[in-house]
Amino acid sequence: MNMNNERFFNLAMKVIAHQAADVERAEFDALLASQSELRVEFARLETDARVAKDALPMMDAMEATAREFPAYARQRLQTKVRQTLGRPVAKQESDRSVAWGWRWILGLTVATAAVLFVALPIFRAPGGPVIGVAMLDTVGAVRTSDTNETEILKQQWRNSTFQSFDKSDSLENWETNWPEGNKVTAKVVYDRAAGEVRVSLHGLAKPQQRTFVIERDLAATIQEANAFIQEQTKH
Amino acid sequence: MNPPDLHALKLGDESAWDAAFDWLWPTVFAVAQLKLQPFLPDEVEDTAIEALEELVAKVRSVNSVEELKPLAASIAHNRGVSLLRNRFAKKRGAGKTESLDVPAEDGKAKDEPASGDSPLDSLAEKELAARLQKSLAELKPPQGEILSDFFLHGLRYEEIAKKRGVAVGSVGVYLKRGLEAMRRIWGQEENS
Repeated sequence: MNMNNERFFNLAMKVIAHQAADVERAEFDALLASQSELRVEFARLETDARVAKDALPMMDAMEATAREFPAYARQRLQTKVRQTLGRPVAKQESDRSVAWGWRWILGLTVATAAVLFVALPIFRAPGGPVIGVAMLDTVGAVRTSDTNETEILKQQWRNSTFQSFDKSDSLENWETNWPEGNKVTAKVVYDRAAGEVRVSLHGLAKPQQRTFVIERDLAATIQEANAFIQEQTKH
Repeated sequence: MNPPDLHALKLGDESAWDAAFDWLWPTVFAVAQLKLQPFLPDEVEDTAIEALEELVAKVRSVNSVEELKPLAASIAHNRGVSLLRNRFAKKRGAGKTESLDVPAEDGKAKDEPASGDSPLDSLAEKELAARLQKSLAELKPPQGEILSDFFLHGLRYEEIAKKRGVAVGSVGVYLKRGLEAMRRIWGQEENS
């Protein structure tokens, strides 16, 4: 930068940052008046400054390290990972020997894209929590396996009714919409694509959520889920 | 904290994603906070979480781990911008909601953000991510720090010189070089 350019640039910076003293402002105005091309350059510098003011905080944000990831979000995001990317290959391989039935269902369902969502609205165990059960199938199911799984769910939580949905948004609404009052309520979601059963408990001193990955078969997993509900609500 | 293993992330590895969430969270939260804190502070954390959810869906299109943070930041930024636009559009919309804010002369509520004012707001997230990544690579120390001192923190030349241990006469040179780099990266004529 030559001397004249350097002087103009520094004055322009101070004007843009509202740091120019009166005498500097007067000098700057005189320069603009005498050299019209400087007006164009000043306009460009103003644009550059505006971009810098917007981009620099984002660049700073990319170097931020201090904030701790909230624990409650981890499970939600891991579910998203399983739904989107599937379970890791190594994990699936290890399941082969012990979970043939489950893998067969998945194999058939991956090829289709329809969404089936079955909800068992609610049943009330005597003296126990209110339990709602739902099934989400984001990849679609053959009728036989669908029926089998519904039967398994029905057997575990008897006196339940079933509904079908075709959007995961509906599940999210259902899963996050709790009844008013202090009654202990449990929601069980069988997420077929993720290969997991999620349990959420509301109305306890502290809300609880746990995910049970289906390692062997659905029946065994929902028994685990049911045991968890009973354990957490046994008072 | 080290960057996560991108290959493992693409395979859906749970522990790799756990590490990624810890690594990315400060960034997505800070970016969401930048956009939303003044207007919708209650939405900051949700927006940051949603940005990570969106990143999960896009991870297979990422080619190197260095792209992850800029992409996550861009997603959080664009989600924040979109949320502000939606909220304030609804607020103004067709008399459906009666605002308690006093409208300014341009018809906007007085506490409404100036929409479209930021050149960054019009960029698609991949474009924004690429430019952020390039900016971080090209602004060599202390150029970025001096730009921040001047434009974000309002320090004067003398204060910057003292803080950064450089001659007062050099501050303007750093500012000029830094702005030139920003112009190369963010300027429409080079990038459109």
